[in-house]
Amino acid sequence: MAESSAAQRHQTFIGAGALLLGALLALGARNISSEAGYAGVGPNFLPWVVATVLLVCGAWLIWEARTGGWRQLEAPSGAAQGNWVALAWVSAGIAANAALITTAGFILSCTLCFMLAVRGLRGSEGKPHGGVRGLVIDFVTGFLIAAPAFWLFTQVLGINLPGLTGSGWL
Amino acid sequence: MDVWSQLLGGFATAATPINLLWAFMGCALGTAIGVLPGLGPAVTVAMLLPITAQVEPTASMIFFAGIYYGAMYGGSTTSILLNTPGETGTMVTALEGFKMAKSGRAGAALATSAIGSFVAGTIATVLVTLFAPFVAEHAVKLGPPEYFMIMLLAFTTVSAVLGKSTLRGITALFVGLAIGLVGLDQITAQVRYTGGVPEFMDGIEVVLIAVGLFAVGECLYTALYEGRSVKQMNRMGSVHMTRSEWKRSWPAWLRGTALGFPFGTIPAGGSEIPTFLSYGVERKLSKHPEEFGTTGAIEGVAGPEAANNAAVTATLVPLLTLGIPTSVTAAILLSALQNYGINAGPQLFQTSSTLVWALIASLYIGNVMLLVLNLPLVGLWVKLLKIPRPPLYAGILIFATIGVYGMRQSAFDLFLMLGVGLAGVLMRRFDFPTAPVIVGMILGPLAEAQMRNALSIGEGKWGVFVERPMSAALLAVVVAVLVVPRLMALRRGRALQP
Repeated sequence: MAESSAAQRHQTFIGAGALLLGALLALGARNISSEAGYAGVGPNFLPWVVATVLLVCGAWLIWEARTGGWRQLEAPSGAAQGNWVALAWVSAGIAANAALITTAGFILSCTLCFMLAVRGLRGSEGKPHGGVRGLVIDFVTGFLIAAPAFWLFTQVLGINLPGLTGSGWL
Repeated sequence: MDVWSQLLGGFATAATPINLLWAFMGCALGTAIGVLPGLGPAVTVAMLLPITAQVEPTASMIFFAGIYYGAMYGGSTTSILLNTPGETGTMVTALEGFKMAKSGRAGAALATSAIGSFVAGTIATVLVTLFAPFVAEHAVKLGPPEYFMIMLLAFTTVSAVLGKSTLRGITALFVGLAIGLVGLDQITAQVRYTGGVPEFMDGIEVVLIAVGLFAVGECLYTALYEGRSVKQMNRMGSVHMTRSEWKRSWPAWLRGTALGFPFGTIPAGGSEIPTFLSYGVERKLSKHPEEFGTTGAIEGVAGPEAANNAAVTATLVPLLTLGIPTSVTAAILLSALQNYGINAGPQLFQTSSTLVWALIASLYIGNVMLLVLNLPLVGLWVKLLKIPRPPLYAGILIFATIGVYGMRQSAFDLFLMLGVGLAGVLMRRFDFPTAPVIVGMILGPLAEAQMRNALSIGEGKWGVFVERPMSAALLAVVVAVLVVPRLMALRRGRALQP
């Protein structure tokens, strides 16, 4: 019973999230002009519809959560308890990449992202991260994916990605 | 000009060395990502959307289409050998295919799915060739009210009919519509929901949402919950079929094609329904019902595989003639066309006829390429399954970065991508469907414009949607799709009670 009530509490949070999104959209919709022209409805019409529906859905999700939990729910795949440490490693990799890409350049920044993410994913499988040797292997693997990808997309396909130097190779 | 000379012209464009190369790369990449878990055609095309800035439209559409149906070929390999469907469309293949592989007939299962995909893909391409120009000719007569109703139908089926819960489906759809609202209003150029952030003026990129939800979300979910899930892999045998297996496969391929094609052309969410239907039909008609669910029946692989490929090919009909995507990948193909400033719709057959016919011709060529890639070379792709999960998923993040950053050169988008990925984890954990989000954000702005244009035609009166017969009929279909399944469930519920 305790377990199902925890699930219901989480479901209530998600419902509240939808409710909050609906409320924010409604708040924003107040500032959108209603100038309608010939159509009778203006640019603020759809925003109000979306806001209203999300408010109703949010309320409904909360109601379902409070009355025995969401209906027709498929049990999620994977473990019952999340491995939050692993999630933190992977998220840190993506965030570091976002923060560094313009200064460190695509290749190095993505290699770092790869190293952090691979460490998290390996940890989630319960495998050791392999010490210094592991770090070197991860660096080389990441570099060998990021560098050719960078060259392919910038040199051949003409996509603009940031480099550390202006040479186009790093 | 008649269809065949147009098609011949299409072959002339598609068979230039550079376009053949694009088709081949698309098919090869599609097969690879179909085989690999964690990447689907939708997210792959999304990641590659930045190339639309450089590569010319015909080449990139040939490339993207190759990825789309190549993934269907590759997905079945994973279903058969690993029992983890690479794609949703190959879910049913896993049912019988994995059983066949377990009892040592993996080779026959792989052969029937590759040849069946080829047969179905080719027949479906012939149907597209004949059918699409015809639809386009008649679609010119559709006005904004009818278009709006077709889009409404697409919204309804993708959110309310396909998922398990209508409520969560609709929530997901409206989150997608809300994302689509950000940016400039198409008709009045009014700024909406940018919160003063200049990056939001052009709206939120499809790449960002698709890559965030599918690729990053998948990677984060795997780290968080799937670390200890272990997958067993079946051994592969030699890829060939016996005479009796050929005899049992043929009718199943044809029946699967007949089921799959119509489903691909209507907004019913792509290839899931027809594959399940085909499985049901084969199970009922089979002369060897005892093999289903035990040692694995070859019909149960042949039929759904054919249905799957026929449906995927058929999605091109509504996409090219009406501009209506009936699957997530089709929605992303639509946004690729939008990047070029090409409006998919009935006029496309006049304004961009070279592109359209080259694309259709490339489907014929691509199917042959895929047959070669997937029959003699299947062993090569199977090696991909040996890549351990951590470097695979971490590597996907690098390509996700290329897609998202390459689109707008904004590091801000990479932070957003992480946020969308975390939202994707929540959606997966709490059983929200993700397809409605993508369809909502791409089709939402188009539907809004059609609706307001329709109301302008009707001088502001909503009656315009019921006064025109075609639009009223479509509205009736939308209502029926929503109401009929519920009434039937209610009746069944009553019948069960004493």
